[in-house]
Amino acid sequence: MKFLIQRDRLVQSVQDVMKAVSTRTTIPILTGIKIVASEDGVTLTGSDSDVSIESFIPKEEAGDEIVEVKQTGAIVLQAKFFSEIVKKLPTDTVEIEVLNSLQTVIRSGKSEFNLNGLDAEEYPHLPQIEESNQFSIPTDLLKAMIRQTVFAVSASETRPILTGVNWKVERNELTCIATDSHRLALRKAMVEIENNDIYNVVIPGKSLNELSKIMDDSNELIHIVITENQILFKAKHLLFFSRLLEGNYPDTSRLIPNESKTDIILNTKEFLQAIDRASLLAREGRNNVVKFATINDGIVEVSSNTPEVGKVIEEIQSQSIEGEELKISFSAKYMMDALKALEGTDIKISFTGAMRPFLITPLHDDSILQLILPVRTY
Amino acid sequence: MALDWDQLEKIQPTVLKMVKNSLLKNRVAHAYLLEGMRGTGKREIGLLTAKALLCLSPDSGYKPCESCVNCRRINSGNHPDVHVVEPDGLSIKKHQIKELQEEFSKKGVESSRKVYMVVHADKMSASASNSLLKFLEEPNSETVAFLLTEQFQQILPTILSRCQILSFKPLHPKALLQQLEENGVDAQNARILAYLTNDLNEAITLNGDDWFAQAQKIVLKLYEVLKKNPLEAMVTLQGDWYQHFKEKEQIDCGLDLLLLIFKDLLYIQLDKSEQIVYLKYREQLEQFALKVSARHLADQMAAILDAKRRLSANMNPQALMEQLVLKLQEGSLFV
Repeated sequence: MKFLIQRDRLVQSVQDVMKAVSTRTTIPILTGIKIVASEDGVTLTGSDSDVSIESFIPKEEAGDEIVEVKQTGAIVLQAKFFSEIVKKLPTDTVEIEVLNSLQTVIRSGKSEFNLNGLDAEEYPHLPQIEESNQFSIPTDLLKAMIRQTVFAVSASETRPILTGVNWKVERNELTCIATDSHRLALRKAMVEIENNDIYNVVIPGKSLNELSKIMDDSNELIHIVITENQILFKAKHLLFFSRLLEGNYPDTSRLIPNESKTDIILNTKEFLQAIDRASLLAREGRNNVVKFATINDGIVEVSSNTPEVGKVIEEIQSQSIEGEELKISFSAKYMMDALKALEGTDIKISFTGAMRPFLITPLHDDSILQLILPVRTY
Repeated sequence: MALDWDQLEKIQPTVLKMVKNSLLKNRVAHAYLLEGMRGTGKREIGLLTAKALLCLSPDSGYKPCESCVNCRRINSGNHPDVHVVEPDGLSIKKHQIKELQEEFSKKGVESSRKVYMVVHADKMSASASNSLLKFLEEPNSETVAFLLTEQFQQILPTILSRCQILSFKPLHPKALLQQLEENGVDAQNARILAYLTNDLNEAITLNGDDWFAQAQKIVLKLYEVLKKNPLEAMVTLQGDWYQHFKEKEQIDCGLDLLLLIFKDLLYIQLDKSEQIVYLKYREQLEQFALKVSARHLADQMAAILDAKRRLSANMNPQALMEQLVLKLQEGSLFV
């Protein structure tokens, strides 16, 4: 393998793939970055076996030559050293050459590094992509969907399946669901899909957080391919692979109530701030619980009482209250997480009794909903 | 160097026959407990079976080809779906099993088949065992576990009942003796080594080790001192033994060497002197053998075995050796 490459492009790609490389891994080869030089350009891959990031540097872009491949081939180089080396090289072009027996020479200007490489054959094989089975979604929408669901995944490993977000694709619609069995976040969006395949997979929450960090905010389409064991997100020159979780996601459709006994419409920002204030004292207690009650004339009372600290009561003017009177308690943290995830200035909260889960949705928008289980106090 | 199927079959024919049949009949269990003495090829056969399960083109349906990417990566420890857990320090900690569980809550990296191997499964802490138990109880169809142990009595019965147990036979000392002699180890050392270990490579390394030659001398000296002037035994311990036998494994080896002396004495008394291992010291040993009773020898051997057991229970080495020497002293009963 031998090629010449623009240093800034190489540095950028190395930084991208380094996000997937983990220092603490049991598999020795994963401490390295895989470099493949082909006729079309150079591909870099980093992985910690959960997520893998592949960055492609094309031979030329907009008429400028970026890579000159003299001989094709592949090598794995120690990520820790390789990333530092390329950052500090003196000139704008870098030459990388693999001599026989995995010895790799990195030349730039008058400096020359000799690195011991590893056999690229030993690197984990990423799934082959079939162009036909993909669907597409704008990057900013994808990032929003991740942000609005991933906070609700379970942090405990007792039920590993709940540490992931359930993605379902059916009839041009992508549904993301996350729950930790005390609350649930759901978001739907239309996607562009060629054939009418049905997918139902669970993606680890950690991987989705990584993904949203690495993708930039633009409305360019991102292509998604789901294979048997992995899901692949394909941006322009960047591929992001994540392993899926094993097992079946619980059926959540029956958890979401269809009817309601009390409907309240509130201003999101006012309500969020009121809950935040009420939780100041509740946070000291063990469970961060606030009480919520309807009183006359469309006024809602939010209160919290921690005997050893003190208590707080706040009244909020709602836009409308329909249905029965209600007193309910819930976790302030869950409510704030849910309110922060919702878009829109006004929200509707639909209760079906003090012991039943309640729904929070933006007014006139059914693509997103948050479900919270109340706490038993009254 | 990894041994291939045919080489391992010579060492453990029964085990490999079972493995072969379950592979061919597609009836691989979800968990195996490989149980046998040190050096009997447990890890090799565990990895061999992993290779057979993941090999792209197994020879006649069960022998791993050793040349495809999967076989090569398992040999070099780089296969992403094969996980080996080894004791971190003295025991396998709970977080190691937790990491394993996290790993296995996800789908395989390449194929759906996943293999994990717990080396020294008896060294799992109680909480680690219980976490693993949960994991063994609800196996995914495509997951295969190998638990390796030298002391299967120490494994939780609840774990044992969920595993298929493969018992590894100890290698016959005679076979090893022959192999050692073929490898140019002299007759005296070969006999001792054949009783000390089951692993040919380990035996050859020990043979070339100055430490081992010195260890034999010190052990014999200790025995002679014990015989001639029991009161000086403590001095010998202080002078030679502690400086030479520092690590736990080294002390264990020293105790084994000491045990072999008593075994020899017993063989001489039973008129089976062709079985003795300290050939060079035969005449001396024959002299000694005249002076002790078989009953006494048996008691002394029991004391050494007891010391070995205490060693594995982390007793202070100095206290351990002093106690042993006092027990071994004949006639003068100070204790």
